[in-house]
Amino acid sequence: MNAIIFSWEYPPRIVGQLANHVRELAAQLVRNSVGIYVVTYHDYLTEQYNETDGVKTYRVVNPVRTHIGVLTWVLTLNQEVERAAANIYYSVNKHVDVIDVYDWHFIPAAVTLKKALNIPFIYSVESLEEHRSHGANSPFNMAIKSIEWLGMYEAARLIVKSEWMRDETYRVYKVPMEKMQVIPSKSANWTKRILETYKDVTEGANPK
Amino acid sequence: MLSWEFPPRIIGGISPHVYYLSKSLAKNGMKVYVVTCDFPGAPQHEVVDGMEVFRMDSYKNPSPDFATWVYLMNVNMQKETAALVNDLGNKVDVFHAHDWLVATAGIGLKHTFRKPLLATMHSTEIGRRNGIHFDYEKMIHETEAWLTYEAWRVICCSDYMVSHVRWAFGLPGDKLSMVPNGVNTEVYEKAENENLGQFRSKFAMPEEKIVLFVGRLVYEKGAHVFVNAVPKVLGKANAKFIIVGNGYMKEQLSSLVRGMGLAHKVLFTGFVDDDTLRKLQKCADVCVVPSLFEPFGIVALEAMAAKSPVVVSDTGGLSEIVEHDVTGVKVYVNNPDSLAWGITKVLLDDAYANLIRKNAYKKVQEKYNWSKIAQQTKGIYEAVLGEYSKSFWA
Repeated sequence: MNAIIFSWEYPPRIVGQLANHVRELAAQLVRNSVGIYVVTYHDYLTEQYNETDGVKTYRVVNPVRTHIGVLTWVLTLNQEVERAAANIYYSVNKHVDVIDVYDWHFIPAAVTLKKALNIPFIYSVESLEEHRSHGANSPFNMAIKSIEWLGMYEAARLIVKSEWMRDETYRVYKVPMEKMQVIPSKSANWTKRILETYKDVTEGANPK
Repeated sequence: MLSWEFPPRIIGGISPHVYYLSKSLAKNGMKVYVVTCDFPGAPQHEVVDGMEVFRMDSYKNPSPDFATWVYLMNVNMQKETAALVNDLGNKVDVFHAHDWLVATAGIGLKHTFRKPLLATMHSTEIGRRNGIHFDYEKMIHETEAWLTYEAWRVICCSDYMVSHVRWAFGLPGDKLSMVPNGVNTEVYEKAENENLGQFRSKFAMPEEKIVLFVGRLVYEKGAHVFVNAVPKVLGKANAKFIIVGNGYMKEQLSSLVRGMGLAHKVLFTGFVDDDTLRKLQKCADVCVVPSLFEPFGIVALEAMAAKSPVVVSDTGGLSEIVEHDVTGVKVYVNNPDSLAWGITKVLLDDAYANLIRKNAYKKVQEKYNWSKIAQQTKGIYEAVLGEYSKSFWA
């Protein structure tokens, strides 16, 4: 099985707690004989490609250097994430089984890859714009919410870290309960359970 | 074919360009799919003149600003086009993007399907703004640069734009191709046999000649130069000056006219429908294009197709469309004296006016007709596919 993980933070670029979480997961999955490719953002802390603990990491740069906000930065960066993922797909003879997307940033890339190449994706929800912006509804917040909504609609499965988050996701976006998997971080067998979810999506889901 | 506008959604020149180009390519035996923004009342999917048009949800929440909307709209455009190409069994040979407004969609589709991308640059941010002054403009400029970088071939509508785009983005010369914009002469031929006498009498007295300006009333279109030429022409010929179009300079221009005491000689019509515009172009004794910046100058071509003599400023695309004393009159840029000289020359010398009128019409039919433009474009597609077939993507 080959899986690509999209995360906007990955060591050594650490913004919050997501970076180390993803690294630990990636290394564990490799030990379970999954081919793991991480696509993340590169801000000159490391080389553009490296392999640590068997995890192949691709770091992309935004070709548009000047921005007027987070949204324009994220939306243009998505094209490079998408390009890196497409290159991985073609380099492994199209055997990419699933993409695991952490938070909303790279949802647009995952959606296009699903529509174009029939690769299903999992949306791993870390937090929601609803909570980050305390219910604000400016055009900026609405744009992020619309991307979160798109991700939840198009994803084969959602992984959330607590029952509270599952209930909140249901409350805000009306995602069907059975589409969401609660896997608390560092709980017993958490990486095994994530791997099972990957397998479920790959085998069970109709990718189209 | 990716475009942010397509009839009935018409914002600028890209919409008719993509329509006529796609239609003519379809006539040339190509299968053309147009993906564009939705429009109230227009169907999501339809077959128009041999091409298939898909209108997708163009992101209708309020957006922080125009550029952010463009990138959000591109998310949907890319998603829908990806699904369409997948449904077609990936049987798409090239993606053709029009302007930075569809840049990210075009770039994404290129890499996911590994098919060549072509870009037509209709204008540039650096040209529109006469320089890059703010981060907002710089971001758009960099997006344009990125699109031209990713494109296998970049198409521009005039030699002027080819050199402008080459300069603005530092592109190698062999990456650029010039394919002129076209004009549809048929719509003017239809109006040929109509009696326009009564229509004309609504705009001018029988003894007055008609001098016509068509364009947005913004600085770069030079309507103020036109107005300043009015008294200089009236000293030598009797004419009515008609200004078609709207823009932020309208109030300023009409108060200038009132101040000259010439309100009875200059008529502001505002925006008019296609039919009225074509009739006005047919009635005009001279059409004037006094632009200060002009990537192409489609209004000059339209006037030529309507068999009206043209007087244009010697700049940008206009310099190439018009050959002085052969297909029109060229005058100095931003110079009312020179402009008045050109207008007067055409108004007072009927034999001269008829000569340039005839030559111009012939030129339009030979060089700027859509079927020829489609053949040229198809030739570029074939050349690109030939190169592509030798690449490791094929």
